[in-house]
Amino acid sequence: MSIHTSTPGADWPQKSRDLAQLLARTGLGDRAAFAALYERTSGHLFAVVLRIQRDRALAEDLLQEVYVSVWKSAAGFDAARSQPLTWLTHIARHRAIDGLRRTAAQPSTESLHGDSDDDSDNPLDRVASDTPGPLDLLGRASDARELSQCMDRLSPPQRQSVALAFFDGLSHAEVAAQLQEPLGTVKSWVRRALATLKTCLERSAARDGEVA
Amino acid sequence: MDYARPALVEALAAQYVAGTLRGPARGRFEALLPSHPALQAAVREWQLRLMPLTGVLQPQTPSARVWQAIERRLWPAAAAAAQPPWWSRLAVWRGVSALASVAVVTLAVLLASPPPALAPVVVVLASTGADAGTAGTFVASFSGDGRALVTRPLQPVALQAGRVFELWSVPPEGAPRSLGLISASGATVLQRQKLPATVLRGGTAALAVSIEPPGGSTTGAPSGPVVFVGKLQL
Repeated sequence: MSIHTSTPGADWPQKSRDLAQLLARTGLGDRAAFAALYERTSGHLFAVVLRIQRDRALAEDLLQEVYVSVWKSAAGFDAARSQPLTWLTHIARHRAIDGLRRTAAQPSTESLHGDSDDDSDNPLDRVASDTPGPLDLLGRASDARELSQCMDRLSPPQRQSVALAFFDGLSHAEVAAQLQEPLGTVKSWVRRALATLKTCLERSAARDGEVA
Repeated sequence: MDYARPALVEALAAQYVAGTLRGPARGRFEALLPSHPALQAAVREWQLRLMPLTGVLQPQTPSARVWQAIERRLWPAAAAAAQPPWWSRLAVWRGVSALASVAVVTLAVLLASPPPALAPVVVVLASTGADAGTAGTFVASFSGDGRALVTRPLQPVALQAGRVFELWSVPPEGAPRSLGLISASGATVLQRQKLPATVLRGGTAALAVSIEPPGGSTTGAPSGPVVFVGKLQL
């Protein structure tokens, strides 16, 4: 799947520049550029949406909304301030989380029909077994080396809370239910985890600055 | 809530990007975002910090229907058409309409003061020169409420046998929509049921006329040369 630029690698800067170009042209109304952008990024964005919205049909509807929104707002992309894939990924996550809010307002039919061979309410159990859990994903974040090192500094429950929230789009309350911990405790784990990450990343950025 | 406090801005941006800012708080935060550069900067920083995490996800290929649906939503009239989109060459009609817009007249019906009737909108469509044999000028006039459209060539326009003129509404973004076939020699009245509801409410940036086979374009987009263009000014 070499067409997908999902994994930032050694050639990432070039890919990022290409995507920025495509986004800029999309912003000018260039449909061919938009099609190429979709070709290159839809695999990644769909993966992001699918983590949060596990229903594939709903996730595809969301992905459609994501790209309609990308077409409409591409002119506002500022290559000097944002990374193209970061910008796109944010739109995808935003739509997916927004979509959860909408589906949450509707009664779930899933619990009524239920999987008879699945008596657990653990949402992670419903995920196909070859799907890595959120903590596995954090552990694999080796491309983002600094981020991964900083993640290591978090306490296990902090890491787990952030992973559930970030990858699976769980709210504080859902993370609390998932971990069977009080809501207030989970909130402070997430808050402290994010603060620790920030401090750690800023330190490593400063170190890189000194080396360079 | 006081969004001017840096610590609060920082905490909210972190929770927003991490996804844990939910419900009304998320809505409020988003509503404030466009007008608060400090919030935007904090959000951008958190995006840079956290988004690399998503790099570990295995790409998932969406089904082909997703792209088809995107195309249908963004360009309803042209989803089936594969030829190069002439309307994306904005320069063509921008140039022409720059000239034509000088001639675009909005006629206020002064007589009908009470109640204030919506003025009809007249668009002058100038020849693009895309077809050497087709010259002249068309005038298209919308009734003020956008429910009827009358087109008429200033002089009868020569058109080769077995060909017809088709009128298109060119939206500000996306593909043109057919408004119907029009006469090369006299007036054509297009009734409201043929016109898209938004034709005057921002749905039309310009009108265009193309040369088509009898019955009009079969692709949903202009298939022959676009011979007249005029920009709509409200």
